Amino acid sequence: MRRIFPLVASAVFAGGVAMSVQASAAGKPILIGLDTPIQHQVGKDTIAATKMAIDEINAKGGVLGRKLAYVVADEGVDPQLGVSAINKLTSDDHVDVLIGGYSSGVQLAEEPHIARSKTIWLGVGAASPNITALVGKHYDKYKYIFRVNPLNSALQASQIVDFATHVVKGKLHRDKVAILGESAVWVRGLVPVLVKGLEANGMKVTYQQLFDESMTDFTPLFARVKDSGAKYLLVILSHANSDVFVKQLYEARLPMPYGGIDVKSMTPNFCSRVSGAAVGETTVNFITRAPITHKTIPFWDKFVKVNGRAPVYTAPGAYNAVYLYAWAVKKAATTNADKVIKQLEKADYVGVGGKIKFNKLHDDIDGPGYQNLLFVQWQKDCTRQVVWPKSVATGKVVLPPWVSN
Amino acid sequence: MLTVLIYGAVTSAVLAMLAVGFTLIFGVARILNLSHGAFYALGAYCAYSFTTLLKLPLIVSAVLAVALVAVFGMAMERVLVRPLRQSSLAVLMITLTVALTVEQVLFVVFGSQSKNVPAFVNFPINVHGVSVDGQRLLALAIAVVLIGALWLFIQRTRLGSAILAVSQDPEAAQYMGIPANRIFTIVMGLSAALAGAAGVIAGPFLSVRPTMDQTAMITAFSVVIVGGLGSIPGSILAACIIGYSQTFVAFYLNPEWTGTVSLVAILLTLVLRPSGLMGRVVNA
Repeated sequence: MRRIFPLVASAVFAGGVAMSVQASAAGKPILIGLDTPIQHQVGKDTIAATKMAIDEINAKGGVLGRKLAYVVADEGVDPQLGVSAINKLTSDDHVDVLIGGYSSGVQLAEEPHIARSKTIWLGVGAASPNITALVGKHYDKYKYIFRVNPLNSALQASQIVDFATHVVKGKLHRDKVAILGESAVWVRGLVPVLVKGLEANGMKVTYQQLFDESMTDFTPLFARVKDSGAKYLLVILSHANSDVFVKQLYEARLPMPYGGIDVKSMTPNFCSRVSGAAVGETTVNFITRAPITHKTIPFWDKFVKVNGRAPVYTAPGAYNAVYLYAWAVKKAATTNADKVIKQLEKADYVGVGGKIKFNKLHDDIDGPGYQNLLFVQWQKDCTRQVVWPKSVATGKVVLPPWVSN
Repeated sequence: MLTVLIYGAVTSAVLAMLAVGFTLIFGVARILNLSHGAFYALGAYCAYSFTTLLKLPLIVSAVLAVALVAVFGMAMERVLVRPLRQSSLAVLMITLTVALTVEQVLFVVFGSQSKNVPAFVNFPINVHGVSVDGQRLLALAIAVVLIGALWLFIQRTRLGSAILAVSQDPEAAQYMGIPANRIFTIVMGLSAALAGAAGVIAGPFLSVRPTMDQTAMITAFSVVIVGGLGSIPGSILAACIIGYSQTFVAFYLNPEWTGTVSLVAILLTLVLRPSGLMGRVVNA
């Protein structure tokens, strides 16, 4: 008996330890690491939308009996800061998944570190096609990289060509176009596709110029655009100072309508922030309060109610990414990255901005029913109207107040 | 060509407003003030806060903004710079610290997004067939008036004479009964007010962001080096040369290259005429 007691006691103790370890593993939340520029609106909305999705999922009992939680690391718009953010989240915080990104340059610097940590990364802000190209070249190493949002810049370019063909040329009867964009990785990939597409559709590019993101006086560029004989100005701006760009364009009364990608103009208060100077600008967006899917309006209304502002494009991306990851973990019945990746690759998930499906490069695809660009114009009294595509349009494109036919 | 002439004049005027204050405080107090760009940023942000957040009339906001920046400059000189003035290295470090602190405070309080300072003139003006933003023309006029007023103040008033005396020999001026320390504080206030005014009038058409002090500081520094440290006429001449060069490069070559104009000007000056266009040669 004396011999048996220690054995039984040891077994009971060992079992207790094992059970408590198991219990703590089950009780440990699934940790989401957010790498995002926290001082920018895109970063603030990434965090706000992630929190919203996590609260909703946790209210329904979490995933596999575990709650979701998140931790944030600031990646700014600086590659060095971005790499530190990824290393902190993966090495110190041991997150289960990474969600975030904004600058493509920062993202490309982070990718080797993400791959080394073998942690799934769901991108919600950066658009360069190079980000997912590595998945095709070295699948085993970079299979962890997925882009949930936005569409890559090549797809964006082809949708802008579609807009230019049908609206700029078709409705406004303007076939000479100038292009101004910031000198960034994603823009350098986009412009050649754009030029080729415009010319293939019978339009002439009279002038194109990329400028440094820190530029603050655009007047000389506007003079050149005007001198080139352009009748429409396509802009491609994300990190650049588009508040000043739009104000100076208005002050110069550049005699042509303009539009394209202007990330800061996606912000709901942009037009009032520049005292109405943006009226007439058409900019792409990824979401608006319209029944794109059955989730769009509930997401939009709740985001506005909780945060007191309308979301920018990273918000639906982050919200979708959290739900998509939760869905894949549930399907895989584990957080094991390899098994979750297999589920993500099969996903055909209805998000708030359209369905999400990944191609072989783990890049989100466009097309009917999937995520597409919406062309939204600032109109009278700084209201916004969707002017393209036709299926979701809420108004017609108009000329800026100082431009005549 | 007329476009380049007009825009060049506006750029030169804003540069001159920044550079004159910077060279004034160096000429009088031998202070190389690295927080001069921060005065420019504070002027723009004060104007934004008064007009947009406190909803004050534009003209009241502008005057208040300039006055507040002047007070900030005087307080900085009295509390932070004066105790360290014996060491030029310590002065450099404390003014750099002030610049970085102001920038970070602006980041925390206002965020990284650009702010919109309302314009006094919100319509284009036609000058011989060239449509020019009205606010830019107003900036040009205000710069000419303010620099002219400063010139008259220094040349024609008793206090101006005291400033000139202190700039030539602070100790001798002190023996003559001129309170040199008080003059330093007043000059720092004037210098800050000029930079603040530049922020208020250029804010509506240039960028208002927390990092706006950096470009302003670099440009003011290059203008002052080309003009000659401590020389007000030299700074005005250099502002015109650099302002017009930048505008010419932006319109006829590539707008991305405007930043290099200042650097090339500094390099050429240091190699060909280290004392600057109108600076004094001091033998050690």
